[in-house]
Amino acid sequence: MIEVVQLTKSFGELRVLDGISFGVDKAEVVVVLGPSGSGKSTLLRCVSFLEPYDGGEIRIDGELVGYRMSGRGQRVPRSEAENARHRQQVGMVFQSFNLFPHKTALENVMMGPLHARGQTKAEALEIGLSLLAKVDLSDKANEYPIRLSGGQQQRVAIARALAMRPKVILFDEVTSALDPELVGEVLIVIRELAREGMTMIIVTHEIPFARDVADRIIFMDKGLIVEEGVPGRVLMAPASQRLQLFLRRYQGDYLAT
Amino acid sequence: MPDVLAKNLPYLLSGAVMTLWLSLAVVGLSTALGFIIGTLGAVGGRTTRALVTAYIFILRGIPVLVVMFLGYYAFPAFGYRANAYVAVGAAQIVYAGAFVAEIVRSAILSVPAGQIAAARGLGMPRAKILMHVVFPQAVRLAIPPLLNTSLTTIKQTSYASVVGAWELTYAAREVVERTLAAFQIFLGVMAIYFCICYPLSALSRWCEGRFVVAH
Repeated sequence: MIEVVQLTKSFGELRVLDGISFGVDKAEVVVVLGPSGSGKSTLLRCVSFLEPYDGGEIRIDGELVGYRMSGRGQRVPRSEAENARHRQQVGMVFQSFNLFPHKTALENVMMGPLHARGQTKAEALEIGLSLLAKVDLSDKANEYPIRLSGGQQQRVAIARALAMRPKVILFDEVTSALDPELVGEVLIVIRELAREGMTMIIVTHEIPFARDVADRIIFMDKGLIVEEGVPGRVLMAPASQRLQLFLRRYQGDYLAT
Repeated sequence: MPDVLAKNLPYLLSGAVMTLWLSLAVVGLSTALGFIIGTLGAVGGRTTRALVTAYIFILRGIPVLVVMFLGYYAFPAFGYRANAYVAVGAAQIVYAGAFVAEIVRSAILSVPAGQIAAARGLGMPRAKILMHVVFPQAVRLAIPPLLNTSLTTIKQTSYASVVGAWELTYAAREVVERTLAAFQIFLGVMAIYFCICYPLSALSRWCEGRFVVAH
């Protein structure tokens, strides 16, 4: 469903993505691991086209993201309106939640249906209420984000992304800003989505969670995919030295679970 | 002789009414102008942003009195006759508009990037992002400094008397010329200006900490 081919991206001199290729099937859960600065977040931001990319291709259901091919075979940027339509298919959940502080939890979830999909208020309300119920926050519908805990805010953010009925959801270190005791409630929601067959790309540092939820793990370092495979193999018998080192650094957590 | 003040109070109050009208017009129109220009300065293209920056910087570097003289003499210089209120009002609107524009521009730019990323991530089009995500948060940030600027603008209408626009300060000078009781009369004028400004001061105090957008 998603194909990434030879993706490259630089910020000035720094080459953040150095030729990344992988695919994601429908209903597949791909977890991306890697040290800070390995390009994981940038990869997600390119797939949702919050960032333009320099070279290579990203396709969702065959359609090129962010660009179209001209008659002469050159890529031409798509219009902002086309990109907005593309982003409706790709849900994004951020490390820092980014809920709209001037909107209640319910209104946050209704934003996409109302202002991106152009649905009626009644439809948006129905979607909002059912998704808040799904993330177990029906009782917080009318609270503003500031009154919610980090874990609750992140669950609202997941509901907000789901409200767009996206084809895929991208999770960008969604538990990294949370107190340890709040991580679990967010992971439960993601695990439930995986069970329901949602297509997801998850960037995380929670290795036990990755092992449980991933169909496939991709390990990135310095803008490249170093290793890729099923969690059992990648985490239990890492082939590359870099992944071995990376896992060893997290081993404290890893063995404790 | 405090009855000098009492006897002339009705006249001063009619001057105060004129000051109120002038303030209302200048604050209202300069706020509208500043919102448009400030928004262009935050979201416009490169040339637009440069023009807005120039407008803000130039006007912030000129005393309001000079801007008013320029405004007053600009109309005749281009062959128009305009009454003193229009000349003074236009000059003050352009002047105060620059301050409003800077407040609005920086308030819009203070909305965190993550907010815009989240709205783009939902697939909202640009205009809707501005309307439903950026403006509501920017306005909350801008309200306290805008109230502050409004107070300054109201007090600056007293300069209008210099070019012969009749309002509270002008009326006071007339009374002083007649009665020579400068101290008493200006004490009274001070009290009147304070009464005009106090509600806004109080409002701005009330707003403190109330419009903070927590992220």
